[in-house]
Amino acid sequence: MTDKEIVDLVNKTLAEEFELDPASLRPEAGFAEDLGLDSLDTVDMIIVLEQAFRMKIRDNEAIRGIRTLGDLHAFLIEARDARGA
Amino acid sequence: MSGGADCPCPPAPLAVSGRPGSLPLTLVLAPLLALWTVLVVGLGLPVLMGLKLVRLRRLAEAARLVIWWYGRGCVALIRAFVPVRGRGLSPASFPQPCIVVANHLSVLDVYFMGAQPVWNMCFVVKSWPWRIPFYRPFMRLAGYLDSDRLPAEELLARSRAVLEAGGSVLFFPEGRRSRDGNLGRFHSGAFALAVATGRPLVPLCLAGTDRLLPPGSRLLNPAEVTLAALPAVAPAPFAAGPVGHIELRKLVKKRMSEALAALRSGADPHTP
Repeated sequence: MTDKEIVDLVNKTLAEEFELDPASLRPEAGFAEDLGLDSLDTVDMIIVLEQAFRMKIRDNEAIRGIRTLGDLHAFLIEARDARGA
Repeated sequence: MSGGADCPCPPAPLAVSGRPGSLPLTLVLAPLLALWTVLVVGLGLPVLMGLKLVRLRRLAEAARLVIWWYGRGCVALIRAFVPVRGRGLSPASFPQPCIVVANHLSVLDVYFMGAQPVWNMCFVVKSWPWRIPFYRPFMRLAGYLDSDRLPAEELLARSRAVLEAGGSVLFFPEGRRSRDGNLGRFHSGAFALAVATGRPLVPLCLAGTDRLLPPGSRLLNPAEVTLAALPAVAPAPFAAGPVGHIELRKLVKKRMSEALAALRSGADPHTP
């Protein structure tokens, strides 16, 4: 997958599963303060992204540092690179 | 996915922000509601505090009963001046204990919960109602849950405890009032609770409360209000996968969206 395909799939998945306005899905958007996702949504988000990308991400320590949508994009791009390496 | 995207035909906007209210209706109904509130607070609070002193084991249930009767009184007063319709509001439609999810249009919505038949109902509410001095003691005694203050996991654990004690739990899954009458984004808590406990979920649709008291208005409008309980949804088929509650949330929202569209067009939604 290209970087753009990853970003598009993340945004499409979040918009569909969490009823988010696609216009709100900016890289600088914070999950809690800008997108209104609570801690339950965060757990769900990891599960639906694992299903969308068909890879395990919940055990990756780096996921705890994710604060914004751009962080999530970068995390998944790195995970793709690590899997391909 | 937006709230309105689930509806096959775009509904007409319901909100009437900016519409001037009715001064005569407000001058008659508001003092009556205020008097009823003073009566309930003046009599109910001392009684409940007395029951607390004698350590009544079922104090929360007693407080919920008082609140429910207060709501019923409010609905009766409102009904004397504006039409209030109920659909599917028989006790059989609310298999107890259950989880009720209602759309949110107006501050009056909580008062209209007196029109539904379950008295032992724990409300999940945001932080601001806790700041109303004469409501706060009742909410505390009734064991209401503050969705802003409690972490999601604890909110679910406490909601689960309410269900296990035989009480039902009411959520407004949008978490805020709709400003255009359409359903907003649904949070997942109520649906995760239903899947985790196996308790049925009752969708409750409200229409017209935003016209009765538009957001930002202090004046009441003579508007018809309808409450319609949709058939209860059993969560068992959604318990298989890790995100079954998301599918349950989508299904319930779709049914509520269709029912609200039917109400707006003057048709009756499918009720039990």
